Amino acid sequence: MARLQLKNVNKRWGSFVGVENFDLDIADQEFLVLLGPSGCGKSTTMRMIAGLEDVTDGQILLGDKVVNDLEPKDRDISMVFQSYGLYPNLSVYENIRFPLRVRKVPKDQHHDMVMKAIAMVELEDFMDRRPAELSGGQRQRVALGRAIVRKPTVFLMDEPLSNLDAKLRVSTRAQIKNLQSKLKTTTVYVTHDQIEAMTLADRVVVMNKGKIQQVGTPTDIYDNPANTFVASFIGSPAMNLVEGRLEDGVFSADGIRVEGLPASASGNVTLGFRAEDAEIVEEEAQISAPMYSIELLGEASMITWRLAGSLVSIKTNKEYRAEIGEVVKARIPAAICHLFDTKTGERIAHG
Amino acid sequence: MPHKTFMAFIWPSLLAMILFIALPILSVGYQSLFIEHEQIVVVSENCGPFGCTKEASVDAEAMAELRAEQPAGRFNGLDTYSNASHLAFDEIGEIFATSENFGEIRNRIMNLPFYKALIFTLAYTFIVTPLVILLGFIIAIVVNSIPKLLKGPVIFFSLLPMLVTPLVGSLVLFWMIDSRGIIGAALQTIFADPSLSLKASPALTWVTLFVYGVWHSAPFAFVVFYAGLQTVPQDTLESAMVDGASRWERVRFVTIPYLMPLATFIALMQLMDNFRVFEPIIGFSAAASATSLSYLIYNDLRAAESPLFGSAAATSMLTIVGVIILLLPVLRRNWREFNRKT
Amino acid sequence: MANLANRKPPSLVFVSTAFVLFWLVVAAFPFLWTMWGSFKVEGDFFSRADWMNAITGPVTQRQNGSAFTGAGYEGAWVQQEFWRAVINTSIVVFFTVVISLTLGTLGGYALARSGFKYTFWLLMAALVFRAMPHVTLVSGYLLPFFELNIWGYLPTTIIVLVAINQPFTLWMLHSFFLSIPKDLDEAAMVDGCTRFQAFRLAIIPVMWPGVVTTGLFSFLLAYNDFTVTSMLLTQENATMIPKINSFLGSTQEEGKVMYAVAAVVSAIVPLFVLILFFQRQIVSGLTAGAVKG
Repeated sequence: MARLQLKNVNKRWGSFVGVENFDLDIADQEFLVLLGPSGCGKSTTMRMIAGLEDVTDGQILLGDKVVNDLEPKDRDISMVFQSYGLYPNLSVYENIRFPLRVRKVPKDQHHDMVMKAIAMVELEDFMDRRPAELSGGQRQRVALGRAIVRKPTVFLMDEPLSNLDAKLRVSTRAQIKNLQSKLKTTTVYVTHDQIEAMTLADRVVVMNKGKIQQVGTPTDIYDNPANTFVASFIGSPAMNLVEGRLEDGVFSADGIRVEGLPASASGNVTLGFRAEDAEIVEEEAQISAPMYSIELLGEASMITWRLAGSLVSIKTNKEYRAEIGEVVKARIPAAICHLFDTKTGERIAHG
Repeated sequence: MPHKTFMAFIWPSLLAMILFIALPILSVGYQSLFIEHEQIVVVSENCGPFGCTKEASVDAEAMAELRAEQPAGRFNGLDTYSNASHLAFDEIGEIFATSENFGEIRNRIMNLPFYKALIFTLAYTFIVTPLVILLGFIIAIVVNSIPKLLKGPVIFFSLLPMLVTPLVGSLVLFWMIDSRGIIGAALQTIFADPSLSLKASPALTWVTLFVYGVWHSAPFAFVVFYAGLQTVPQDTLESAMVDGASRWERVRFVTIPYLMPLATFIALMQLMDNFRVFEPIIGFSAAASATSLSYLIYNDLRAAESPLFGSAAATSMLTIVGVIILLLPVLRRNWREFNRKT
Repeated sequence: MANLANRKPPSLVFVSTAFVLFWLVVAAFPFLWTMWGSFKVEGDFFSRADWMNAITGPVTQRQNGSAFTGAGYEGAWVQQEFWRAVINTSIVVFFTVVISLTLGTLGGYALARSGFKYTFWLLMAALVFRAMPHVTLVSGYLLPFFELNIWGYLPTTIIVLVAINQPFTLWMLHSFFLSIPKDLDEAAMVDGCTRFQAFRLAIIPVMWPGVVTTGLFSFLLAYNDFTVTSMLLTQENATMIPKINSFLGSTQEEGKVMYAVAAVVSAIVPLFVLILFFQRQIVSGLTAGAVKG
């Protein structure tokens, strides 16, 4: 029943286009992540769902109802903000109770509902404190508690983890995942961090410059990026991309030559492969070039070359040693390579 | 925020500004086209034993009726603007035609009330403003370097000249520069001239008013610069030091560029405030040697028998034009910035 | 924190200390001098013989038997009915501040939260309005006010001062509201508030620092105003500053000038107290506009 549909939604300010032709159907109970660099329109999209921005064009449906002209308060959503938006003059308890108060939920139910939410976000010991007396992670949990205290049809989360330090981010991420699976509420989550997207999402929407680049499950997006933008945005390290020429199934560029690619395409293409799919070899190598740098990551070492103007890295075992400038070779099986049209950036379908 | 909500929040404020700022400006524009009614003179004949005498007198009743009918006076077109007490085109033409040298032109123009006021207003605006910025900057730099404990009291006393009512502040100084007051007497002693009086000569009166202006406004510049100094990036100062900059070079190349936007802000505020200089002229009883545009308007409205609305309105319109010319660069800059942002 | 970048040679310390002392004398001495002198008679405060007289007060001693006299204050407050002016000023200032802030917070909030182009034009119009010399506006008021028969009353003056104050109040509160994160009222709206409820429940509780600062400046504007009050009020309704000015007309008589001195000191003292208590807010308010540019 809490299906959320966006039909051809557009947002423009004068001549500036914020979001263009956003078309998406979000299923009930789905955890959907909007992923993209800052300024790509992902937050604007979420704010339009919340009713904090007008929709220039198109429709937003919540359930079967068009909500374009509804005030935020009439949309039955709840939202976690990037800087939390806690009421500094209210205690943690009162902050979480606030939505119940203004929505005129009968008073006798307040205490039970608030206590349940507080228990879920584990804030029992801080109930009477003011937001100013809490740590960043605790404030984040208050914001979460305020969002779940009533049962909204949709959760919206706008970069809720970006103000936390790296360690806390990992544990809070797990907590959010856990909460969502318990509450079974449709969730839209905005982030610029691809790891958050991969770990949390049922489906990921990758956006850039106001447009949807790709929609799919995390594995789908990781394994079959639709274009060079998605390829370079997903994964850590991101996919290696080398520009070169493809002729008769042979890709060649300065220092790299890959055979056995589909012969159906030819011309200027960009070859992509993931760092973990290649390996250092002594012969029968596709890459053979002077090494640019070697970095020890801990569990592995990263070897980098400079090929046709772009940096290309692969991972190898941590005992590997070589001098910078020495010729190092690597094998890249044709089967793991991705091909993109250099001009458009679009993926070239391949067997 | 939708237009409707926006209006719901802002209408009281908007209404107040429209009714009491925008409309009065229109009202001033309208009034400036009118002039006081001519007096209605009735001639009555008194016949006595030695023949008849004709006597002219103002018909007060008819005048009152006329005023009630046309309160703004009779229509005068743009004549008020061009008459001798405003732009005085004829007089200016004559001065240029008949004067022998520049000095004479200057003296004669200075006798035209509007130009006298305009020149003083401009001189006050453009002499006091830079001095305020300079003095404020020096005080800020110096106060910033004294022990923390003393800063509070220093700021407290520094705020006084600015926050005290201009009329009151100028009166306080006026009494002190009286030839029987402490400053006036001290100056007489220093220059060994018992007849020295700051009130007597126009030049000295101008200087006194400028000094008052700087004294009154320097605290504002000081406080703004002082707050700015607290936020000068310490990193940049330290890297300048590592690069070998001397104390003066650090001020010259780091502090001053960093404070430039603040100086612009102070200049803008000061230009606006100084252009309407008015109270000190009353406080210092200086109207004989120095008048400003605002003072002219005040004087017209305070005219002995009845207020000269037309004349005051014409001066007001000219003043408004002056303000807009003064603000044009600022408005243009803001407009460009706003366009860049959206 | 002894920072090497801020260490100074002794000569510089000496020069800057001397300069600070000089500035302190320039800024504060006139007020202290006048306050002290207001308890003397005219013969001492304006002494032809010796400036020391204004401090020791021999003439005052001769006339009153004591080095201090409250004659100036008595003359001003009782004989000239300065107390009436004080009451009028209190009324005008109180209502001007309260109404200005009420209108200003609503308007400033709307300007800070609306992203439409007309907010820019409104703010620019406010800037131009702020630059208008008040006396030009007064010359626009007089005739209509005479016609409508509302000239001379305190409420008229209050409303005019509120309006003249609006451009400044709007600018200041606008930039203050910009510094309150948008998340706060948006969270409230998602939680179920209308825009006005969000303003009341989420914004009002956190806006007091900005409102206090703006209120101080509204207070100063109303308290210090001479142009509007002197032109729009009758003699009986006159506030303090025009009243002081009217004393000056009668200063030819012996002793009357001391009434004006006493009244001036009476008008300064509240400002002294104000700065004493609100120095921090005044400083932050003066710089608020600058930081925003």
